[in-house]
Amino acid sequence: MTSTKTTRRTFLTSAAAIGAAGLFPGGVGMLRAQEGSVLNLRLDGDNSILDPGYMVGGTEIEAQKQCLPFLAEYVRDGDTFTWQPTDYVTRLEYVDDTHIEFELAPGLVWSGGNGTLKASDVAYSYARMKDSEWSGYFDALETVEVTGELTGTLILNKPFAPFIMVTLCHGPGAIVCEAATEAAGGRFTTEFPAVCGPYTYSATPGQRAVFEKNPEWTGPAPGFDRVVCHVITEVQAAELAYEAGEIDCTELGPDSLARYSKEMPDNTAITTAGQLQYMWMGMNTQHPKLQDIKVRQAIQHAVDVDSILAGAFAGTSAKSHGIVCPGLLGARSDHGYSYDPTKARELMAESGVTGLELTLRTLNWQERLLTAQIIQANLAAIGITVNILPMESGPFWEMGMEEAGDTWENLELWIMRFATVPDPYEATQWFVSEQVGVWNWERWTSEEFDSLYEEGLSETDESKREAIYFRMQEIMDETGAYVWINHEPETYAHKTGIEVVAAPSGELNYHRFKPV
Amino acid sequence: MPEDRESAGRERREKLKRFLTDWQAVTGLVLVVLFFASAIFAPWIAPYDPNAMDIPARMSGPTWVHIAGTDQLGRDTFSRILHGGRVALYIAAIGVSASLAIGLVLGMIAGYGPRWLDNLLLLAFDAVRSLPAVILALATVALTGPSLTVVLAIVILTTIPSYGRVARTATLALRHTEFILAERSLGASTSRILFQHVMPNVIGPLLILAAMEVPVVVSIEAGLSFLGIGVLPPQASWGTILNEGYLVIRDAPWMVIAGGIPLILTTLGFTFLGEALRDIFDPRMGRGR
Repeated sequence: MTSTKTTRRTFLTSAAAIGAAGLFPGGVGMLRAQEGSVLNLRLDGDNSILDPGYMVGGTEIEAQKQCLPFLAEYVRDGDTFTWQPTDYVTRLEYVDDTHIEFELAPGLVWSGGNGTLKASDVAYSYARMKDSEWSGYFDALETVEVTGELTGTLILNKPFAPFIMVTLCHGPGAIVCEAATEAAGGRFTTEFPAVCGPYTYSATPGQRAVFEKNPEWTGPAPGFDRVVCHVITEVQAAELAYEAGEIDCTELGPDSLARYSKEMPDNTAITTAGQLQYMWMGMNTQHPKLQDIKVRQAIQHAVDVDSILAGAFAGTSAKSHGIVCPGLLGARSDHGYSYDPTKARELMAESGVTGLELTLRTLNWQERLLTAQIIQANLAAIGITVNILPMESGPFWEMGMEEAGDTWENLELWIMRFATVPDPYEATQWFVSEQVGVWNWERWTSEEFDSLYEEGLSETDESKREAIYFRMQEIMDETGAYVWINHEPETYAHKTGIEVVAAPSGELNYHRFKPV
Repeated sequence: MPEDRESAGRERREKLKRFLTDWQAVTGLVLVVLFFASAIFAPWIAPYDPNAMDIPARMSGPTWVHIAGTDQLGRDTFSRILHGGRVALYIAAIGVSASLAIGLVLGMIAGYGPRWLDNLLLLAFDAVRSLPAVILALATVALTGPSLTVVLAIVILTTIPSYGRVARTATLALRHTEFILAERSLGASTSRILFQHVMPNVIGPLLILAAMEVPVVVSIEAGLSFLGIGVLPPQASWGTILNEGYLVIRDAPWMVIAGGIPLILTTLGFTFLGEALRDIFDPRMGRGR
């Protein structure tokens, strides 16, 4: 038995050695160089539910993409995104409007002795998704027909053009191991029952999640042996960690993005994932103070969005003209009103409303509060007093929901941002009539909008689809219930020696990162 | 009697001399006067409207035009600091006065009343003291929404026990003194004894405590506003200026510096002044003991 005993002499010797190492940064650099295949990233919080059916999203989707099979993945195509089959399939294609055939790559093994990846896993995974919290993504799926051990057909219940982009490429499209998931009781939380992907997963809550190269993975090797995702909740703290060299890549806030764009730090590059977020100020069309469309239109004309983009977002985000984000089919270059305080005052005078006092609710985030203050000043200029009510995310996200209490009745103005996927259908779904009191907090209905929504789902002609989404956004403009603000980009600063791959909605795909 | 008056006058002059020759006392007094003066006269001495936006000039560094720079919306930081001082003064003045008054009354009742009431009030003081102000504020704001009134209520509630305990201890010490026993035997009512005889003897230490509590109260307000549960936008407070500055500290460090300096000076001023007053009026607790 070997005894390890710390004496005064060994302590002093060790301390001297550590001190000497500190005097030679090259030595430390050498140590880091030896760890060249380790990628250090930021995680904005612990992953609490890895199960695709019950996840929150965000970094949980990032984890799924490293450890679970997907049939399709996003790929950049110039300024926009399209899809490609993943390494898990040898074939994925539409055979007609309602049938997508796939063939899995042979020999891909689930961890824990759970056998190989089979078409029955795909059928099991997507069938359980139809009963999950993310079932909306699978409304168009009728069933998955297993035609062989590795082959099958996804059968849609109606033509649904964006199914691959919206569902199969995104988090809900993750495939789980039937045997392992059933053995785990049908659901899982912080551990995958079995993995089949380039990495394995482990996590220390509050500290880090670690992705180690999966020894059983037979697909293409990932660019890094190990990915360590450090839990850093504040984006500003993550930026500091990046600048200190502790992490290799981090998301940037608007002011930092402006600073980096002006003066790029050494050895740094910026990658923009996408601009699939749309922010607007909403108005409750049923509220007694806002029932008069002239008042709503006056508000539309009174808000100076350019000032918001400059003041609250440091000029780093694109001006919004509707819910369809730039680069997507149906994205507009203009909208149905303009910043015109004179017209806003005329409309207020026509409405006969004076002394109007409104409450503007917003998340208590810095950019939102700055946005709210600019709106407050703009509306003061046309005689409307705005009281800003900053809110925590819990009560904020349910304030317009009828099932969550009575707040929706008092809702007047609010600043909202939704994230979407690379197809316009997803953004429009929240504003159909049946969403009133759910996510359509503006509480207007339009039969034309509802029928266009259905048409947009099944239309496969791109120019016709585009016209549909243009018209749907015009209808939204005409309600007077929206002031379009911006599309915030998901932007990452990273070392120039790393190629960053991110989904259009911002999730990083670590296994596709490469040293360059 | 003239000898007594002369002796009292001599003592007062002695105390004033001691005060004026103590650099900490004078520094404290100057800072406290500055705090009051800048807050009261902010609308006249602030060079700009604290809420006036000039977005093209956002996050400008300190210049002769904007001596403390501008914030993300191009608002003059110096003007916002001066107006933020008014919020601090408002909270300090009302918060400290109200908690002192309530604490004094409750403390005297605890010290002079029956044992069971004393125990009950002590329990209440300890219970309130055990509540962290920030957690209490977060819970309250979750129910009511953020506002300055909530901050004020939290400040008053959480600082009452400090005054209450001091008042109780002092009242207990006075309770069996001859002049109180004499008053009682002459049939004086409890309220007369408490407010005419006990209170004048108890109030002195409480006023010194109040002076030392002001920076605590100002810090509580700044802390809650920093967390976004204090003043509502666009009103300026030192806490909101710090919060806005912290988020852009690498792009505009002057916001944090400018927001932090008045907090530091106010804390130093009231602490120096309070300690000096304590040394003069209660030398047994003075420095060096």
